[in-house]
Amino acid sequence: MKVPSLRLPERIGWRDHVIGASLGGVYVCALLATAHTIGFPRDEGVYFRAASSYVGWWRLLLEAPTEALRPSAIDGAWGLNHEHPPLMKTLFGVSWWNLHEKWHVFADASTAYRFPAMCMAGGALWITYIFGARAWSRCAGAVAAILLGLMPRVFFHSHLACFDVPIMTMWFLCVYVHWRAQEQGGMLWALACGVVFGLTLATKHNAWTVPAVVVPHGLFVHRRAMIRALKVGRISLPASLVSMALIGPLVFYALWPYVWSDTLARLQWYGEFHLNHEYYNIEYLGRNYFGPPSPKSYLPVMVLATVPAVTLLLFGIGGGERIAAGGRRLYSWARTKLPRVLPLLRKATGATPSDRGETDLLIALAIGAAAGPFFLSKTPIFGGTKHWFPAYPFVALLAGLGFDRVRSAMHRALPALPRSTRSAAEVALFASVLAAPLAVTAHSNPFGLSSYVPLVGGTAGGADLGLNRQFWGFTSQNAAEEYLNENAPRSATVFIHDTTWDAWAHMQDEGRVRRDLRAVGAPGEAQFALVEHELHMNELDYATWVTFGTDAPTYIVEHDGVPIVSIYRR
Amino acid sequence: MPAVGFFELGAHVIQTHSITPKRDWQAAREYVALHATPEDLVAFAPRWVDPVGREVFGPALATLEREARPDETRFPRAFEVAIRGGHVPALADWRRSSRERFGAVSVTVLDNPSPAHVLDDLVSRVSPDHLRVSRVDGGREEDCPWTRATAQSGQLGFGTAIPADRFACAGGGFVAASVVEDTEYYPRRCIYAPPPGHTLRLRFTDVRIGRSLHGHHALYVEAEHAQKAPVTITFSIGGTVVGTAVHRDLEGWKPFDLDTSALAGARSEVVADIDCPTGERRMYCFEADTR
Repeated sequence: MKVPSLRLPERIGWRDHVIGASLGGVYVCALLATAHTIGFPRDEGVYFRAASSYVGWWRLLLEAPTEALRPSAIDGAWGLNHEHPPLMKTLFGVSWWNLHEKWHVFADASTAYRFPAMCMAGGALWITYIFGARAWSRCAGAVAAILLGLMPRVFFHSHLACFDVPIMTMWFLCVYVHWRAQEQGGMLWALACGVVFGLTLATKHNAWTVPAVVVPHGLFVHRRAMIRALKVGRISLPASLVSMALIGPLVFYALWPYVWSDTLARLQWYGEFHLNHEYYNIEYLGRNYFGPPSPKSYLPVMVLATVPAVTLLLFGIGGGERIAAGGRRLYSWARTKLPRVLPLLRKATGATPSDRGETDLLIALAIGAAAGPFFLSKTPIFGGTKHWFPAYPFVALLAGLGFDRVRSAMHRALPALPRSTRSAAEVALFASVLAAPLAVTAHSNPFGLSSYVPLVGGTAGGADLGLNRQFWGFTSQNAAEEYLNENAPRSATVFIHDTTWDAWAHMQDEGRVRRDLRAVGAPGEAQFALVEHELHMNELDYATWVTFGTDAPTYIVEHDGVPIVSIYRR
Repeated sequence: MPAVGFFELGAHVIQTHSITPKRDWQAAREYVALHATPEDLVAFAPRWVDPVGREVFGPALATLEREARPDETRFPRAFEVAIRGGHVPALADWRRSSRERFGAVSVTVLDNPSPAHVLDDLVSRVSPDHLRVSRVDGGREEDCPWTRATAQSGQLGFGTAIPADRFACAGGGFVAASVVEDTEYYPRRCIYAPPPGHTLRLRFTDVRIGRSLHGHHALYVEAEHAQKAPVTITFSIGGTVVGTAVHRDLEGWKPFDLDTSALAGARSEVVADIDCPTGERRMYCFEADTR
């Protein structure tokens, strides 16, 4: 009997999707296993409520369509949190209804709400693997996917029923599908571009920057065909772009009942809300920012402080190689125009392999579009790193390529090794690259926003530098788990600081916080006061000193010795 | 590449296993408790470790007067309790007299090169025994009685907490000892006296007068951005105006120093008149001492 070969065929195919899905699946399992350790941020409480409201409307639509389609029913259900589009909240609600309420797959409502966002995170790893495998190699794709998942901030946000990781995934998927459409051509890929762009628009407003990637890229890829068409008096545009322009908005509109009436005014409000978004407070290098101008160094410093150094080094290697290749290609092109001025390069012996998808340009545009706005002084920085997440899969892709190049260099340097030693060297190389990101990411949980990478000294190093400690008030759960649940007398009143009433109630519903504890909105009304440390929140520390008559906390929730929540007892 | 990966892993292991144990903090506390006098400053560094310092040292050592100090000038000596090589920037020019290590915690004793001798601290005199408060409206002066009510505080943006014990004026206005958050988000123990659109008059009785009246004033940090009219404080001693200090928005915790050398040695009433044409977001707090 002949044993089938385990070697994967050269062509990327369904087996690769199995690999990508497996990577994503493992990631989702890790997220599910740690979901209960992270409290509910402010925004989640709102999204939980919106999700239930939206799914209620869909159920009404199935049961009583005429009733559901009345404007009052639509506005009643969809008016909640209409500053964000509907896709993820709808999925959160569908998951909650089916996996918690109906089929009891998840005992906790919160896990059911969060599950679609976790799947999106898994999906990001899947697409990263496929993209990397198609663009460079399976090894590059696999390492890229793992390194993306092992970015501590990505891991933290992947737990949440919020939009930051979903938009990272959808934004990335949108660019990937566009890339495939350029490579493959055909109507199906073009249609997919339109649909995926519509879904991206329905995920979060970061989708507005996708055209800054796909339009110049698509035009560049099709430049010759477009010029040829123009010469014969025709206008030719890439089908994928036309599809995005036509189908994308239709999908977006179809998925969001809130804009079905009063469409222009509501869309205009939505646009203006985000274009003129208020500035929230955030600490950076010891200074509190709550308005323009935003510091231009914010993105690079925060990337250095939150993405593992080995990932960034690999990104540098991969990116450097592609920049060099791009430079050589540009030089060759320029030399065809100016042969007498530009000498022939000694290394430019062979022609650059043709890349129909213009992958390098696409990745450069994607990183530029996702990260570029954060170099503008008017762009708010209150989201920490999460608002430029769409750049991270591309960073990971180049890191994967970097790993591939390091691996090849190792093979060249050690050509005569026996096969088993070679394999061991490969495993060691793989471990050397992944061990630190894995350890740092695992250790960051559940204080993902407080945690910083070893390059800046870890959590304490971040505190030394005056980098933001946290936001969103989710660490009240840790305060309850570490102190209040054990020590507070029955029915004690607790000032819950930055935690919302919704989030606190959900934590009590799920037994994370003792159910008898009563939340209050001011330290002066409380027997216990929580102070979640953020620079601009210091006033609540001081208010507690005045109203409690002491400046000494009775307990402090810490991460690596850094205060996260001070708990005062009257 | 492997070296970078393993270096990062090693750094992570070291960083996460070098957390200062509480026993080091407690040993430092015992040392400070034994050696520090009430006049000394006890301060923690780096800044972010202050809550841990307060937790371990307790309110008897990490007193409000030390934690929310107006500045360092009044302290003849400082016990700087630090980890990770931290320092209190304001003590940079002080002379180091000794240093003890308790594991990861260091206690450095520093001498103030020119300490000020404080005669009376007006913030400590906010009580009916030492202060009378009135509201002056068009020449009519109405007394604001000392009351005990519920302490008032709120969520972010509420501003400086209003303690239970305070002088409360009919028609609006109050005066109380509290802690304001300045524009650098530091705590400042001060006399919270938001002008209600009229003059608030504070009469401190039987104050020992020195060569100067030294103080600071500020608005609650968010009010500093309100861009409203400046707040003026005018000090009189024994009926003679000794000086005026004006606080404009965004000036932060602003110092003032008024010359009282002509009256030095006397015991007298010190009157502070606080004025502002508007009461809107004028969450004003000041501190002063005679020295």
